[in-house]
Parts: sequence; C-alpha cells; structure tokens
Amino acid sequence: MAEEQKHQVVMIGAGPASLAAAVYTTREDIETLLFEKGVIGGLAAITDWVDNYPGFPKGLAGLDLAESLRQQAERFGAKIELGEVMSIKDEGTYKRLATTSGDILAEAVLIATGSDYKKLGIPGEQEYYGRGVHYCATCDGAFYRDKHLVVVGGGNSAVQESLFLTKFASKIDLLVRSELRASEVLIHELEKHKDKITVHTNVTTDEIVGKDSKVEKVVGTDTKTGKKREFPTDGVFVFIGLDPNTGFLADSGVELDELRLVKTDVNLQTSMPGVFAAGDVRSGATMQIASAVGEGATAALMIRKYLEDAHQTHEMPAVPATVNAE
Amino acid sequence: MAKNITIFTTNTCAYCGMVKKWLSAKGMHYEEVNLDQHPERQAEALEISGALTVPVTVVTKEDDSKEVVVGYNLAKLAPAVA
Repeated sequence: MAEEQKHQVVMIGAGPASLAAAVYTTREDIETLLFEKGVIGGLAAITDWVDNYPGFPKGLAGLDLAESLRQQAERFGAKIELGEVMSIKDEGTYKRLATTSGDILAEAVLIATGSDYKKLGIPGEQEYYGRGVHYCATCDGAFYRDKHLVVVGGGNSAVQESLFLTKFASKIDLLVRSELRASEVLIHELEKHKDKITVHTNVTTDEIVGKDSKVEKVVGTDTKTGKKREFPTDGVFVFIGLDPNTGFLADSGVELDELRLVKTDVNLQTSMPGVFAAGDVRSGATMQIASAVGEGATAALMIRKYLEDAHQTHEMPAVPATVNAE
Repeated sequence: MAKNITIFTTNTCAYCGMVKKWLSAKGMHYEEVNLDQHPERQAEALEISGALTVPVTVVTKEDDSKEVVVGYNLAKLAPAVA
C-alpha cells in the first residue's frame, strides 16, 4: 500500500483567510497545500465590488481581489488543489484528512472553509433553484436584462448585490424582514437608485410561486399589518446571511458552537491540537474580508509556533515533507 | 473523450473562471461564449441547460453525443470530459 502524502500544513478552503495565511507560511518555507472545493477566493470572489478592503481607495472587484490573493500566495510556493476534504481525524503527530484525491497527512491544519449564502427554506425555493432563484448575482444577473427582480435580505450583501443587479434589471423589489442593516454608505447608494430599487421593510418572504418552470411572483407578509403581499417578478436573488461550511467536521471531535461555527482559543487553535481556524467559519468572526485576512496571518504565526514546539517535542524531521506532484 | 468543449460564461462569474482554470490545468481546449459580449446567445444557453445560470459547459463526445454540466461541479465535469 502506497504511503500517504505528508504535508507540513494543509489549509482547507482557499478564501482570503487561508490565502493570507499561506503567504505567511510559505514565506517562512513551511510547505503548504490548500484544498478548495469551490471558488478560489471564496465568497469574496463572487462579490461584485469590495469597497471596504483597506489599501484600495477606489474599491475593487471581488474577483480581482481573489485573483491577487491567489497570485501572492502562489508566488511564495503555496500549492492549491481543486478538491474536497471530507473528514479530519486526529492521529497525534499527524492529522489524517480524507480528500477526493485520497487520504493525506498533515502536521498542522487550518480550517478556513468560510460560509455559503443561507437558503430561505420556503416553498418554491428549491423547485426554481437556478431557474429563477439565485444566490450569486455576479453569476446569474446577466440573464435578467430589462426584467423585474426580487432581492431578499437587508444586510450589506443584499444591498450591494441589488445595486449590481441594477446594471441589468429594470425594476427591483428589495424585501427586508425587519429594517435595513446595511452600512450608511450602501444605504446612501440605494437612495441614488430609487428609480429602480424599491425597499419594502417589515416584509417576510413566504413563498416563491411560478408556472411552467418560470418564477412569476413572491408572496410575503407585512409583519406590521399581517396582510399578504405579492411581488410579481421574473427572478429572485437571496442574500439573507451565511451558513458555515462545517458539515465535514461532524464526528471529527472539532468543537462547534450553536451556530455550527468552529470554536477556537485565543491562538485560533480548535479543540483538536494542531488544527486551527480562521475567517468566516470561526466562531466570533466578524464576516469581513479584512478580518479574515488578519485572522489568516495570525493563524499562520500560531501554526509556525505549533510546528516549532512539535518538532522540539517529537524530534520530527524539519521537513520539507512530500509535496504533491503537479 | 471530449471532441469539443464549449463554455457559456459572463465577465463577472467567478465559477466560470474556475471551470476554465480546471480545464486548462488538464490541458483541454475549449470555446468560450461570453454572454455579456453575446447576449443574443442567452436563449441558447438556457435551452441547452434549462437553467438561468452560468457557467454552462457543453461537452461533445467523439460519437457526437453531448453532455451538459451546469455550474462549477467537478464531480460531473471530470467524468464528462474523461
């Protein structure tokens, strides 16, 4: 039986947190492999425009930020494998990761799997997914030129993506369950687009109704009056918050909080020694790209210390370990 | 074995970039139809995929049969181009 590949550090996910961490680890010659099952750059890559990432006074496209982070990490030797980590098991000195490319071993692991957009969980949502119900404006907005849209959500993402969708849609109804929670800057931008975007606060989204494989309307409830509201539409975009990507940690022993976010100590280490977490997946994260990058840098420094201590304790060879063949 | 691969994309779609990156890493050539540049072909993408989304990858096999993969889905894309 072939011996499993051994790595110094494996990072699960290749979003801003782990790409930043990889810059730090690889610059210190710590061999680092990242696994990404979705998009390199994570949710940042599918965000139309990022206005609050420090150092870019004019803002920049999320896709461009993701690409720059990737290039920087790869410049110092980080390897990114497109595949999925299905489980993690503590075997003492090494952690065993079951991946789509087979089992691999890692001295230290960074969990940076981020989050995905939450689903509404209402009738019609699953039925019309991809055919009128969407979670990625930058992917699917172009199909709605001169069409009427409903956007659901009241936070920064919902407002930012509504603004993006004005490039295509002729009219947008923004349904907000309570009050708008977006930043003042975005709310100001919203004001500038009131010819296209109508905000409906205190309206729940109850059902997506269609006919012949086509979405026709969204049914909601005005929570102040209790009256039903109907919003005729060609499509629905949903941005109601985030769900952590921690399903693969079930039965791993890595502790999660009540929201299924990964618990860490002050060193960003999880309940499994040698396994760290950073970014949107971490309990206490602020769900900002800038904080994810900062946490990634911190995690990298903590991982370096962990490896140094482990090598002293276990007298492990000071790597380089086996690196994936390209 | 794929004889021909066509990907329907848009400028801002990150998942489209991932499909192109994955195919390029495998040394596979593809034709790209950018729907921002060719909005007149949106109906074609919808008809092929049944979905209002990109990427849509159409793999034409040696026997001219076609396989359609919607989204960035390596579990479906890998066997489709194998």
